[in-house]
Amino acid sequence: MTTSNTTDPTLIRRSAGGDTQAFETLVRRHQASVYRFLLTVAEEEAEAQDALQECFVAAWRSAGTFSGDGSARGWLLTIARNALSRAHRRRAGEPTSFEPLEALGARAGWGSVGNPDAELDRLAARESVQRAMSALSSEEREVLTLRDLEGFSGGEVVGMLSISPSAMKSRLHRARLKLVAELKEMDDGKA
Amino acid sequence: MARLDHEVAGIRCREVLAELSDYLDGELADERVEQINAHLRGCDNCARFGGRFQAVFTAIREVLAEPAPLDDDVQRSLHDSLRREIAS
Repeated sequence: MTTSNTTDPTLIRRSAGGDTQAFETLVRRHQASVYRFLLTVAEEEAEAQDALQECFVAAWRSAGTFSGDGSARGWLLTIARNALSRAHRRRAGEPTSFEPLEALGARAGWGSVGNPDAELDRLAARESVQRAMSALSSEEREVLTLRDLEGFSGGEVVGMLSISPSAMKSRLHRARLKLVAELKEMDDGKA
Repeated sequence: MARLDHEVAGIRCREVLAELSDYLDGELADERVEQINAHLRGCDNCARFGGRFQAVFTAIREVLAEPAPLDDDVQRSLHDSLRREIAS
């Protein structure tokens, strides 16, 4: 039976019943998105590759636990995040450097916005964005990727990260400001 | 250097800076949105910065909309790993 047009929840349900073709379709449909998320958040590429394998192995084993309440992509990214945490042994509450919001705003160009068109032209290069992203902490890259690249709603991201809405918003805003600051500094030739 | 404690329409620039993401994400109450709109109409620094901030993320979403396909080696490793798991 063909599975290319089958919905994600159906693929997961059939995977839970041992249908390897359904699972392969699910993997092919979401592997690039999951890997991008892992590459964005992981400190090293090898870590992301290990977590990618662990994620889909775990998805195969736990397909029967998918409730269908949220999206399959959200379910997979949550599994991927857990896999990466295990791979990285990230410590909860690890102290991070704290730059005041106003200093971050100034660094991002508040009060000194230059030529927006020239700056935006730079963004046409995927490498520029990825280089700027690398200056963010893994938690900042994570929230930015989920919200701004993967397009999850604020509520979905809160659920995936298991943090409060205010913590998510604060982390997201700082991440965005820091990314804009890094891009500006790249444009200014300081980075 | 422009100052963030500049006040326009009853709001200081630092408040607009702090709430910029919520404003652009549509997370603020209508009354607060109106206050910020009034501030932006009277504050060139915040209007320019807010416009750039929004434009940057619009551009990033376009540039990175589609994730790159997996490299052959990564693809092979993933499928080898899944084949072993399914066979076990």
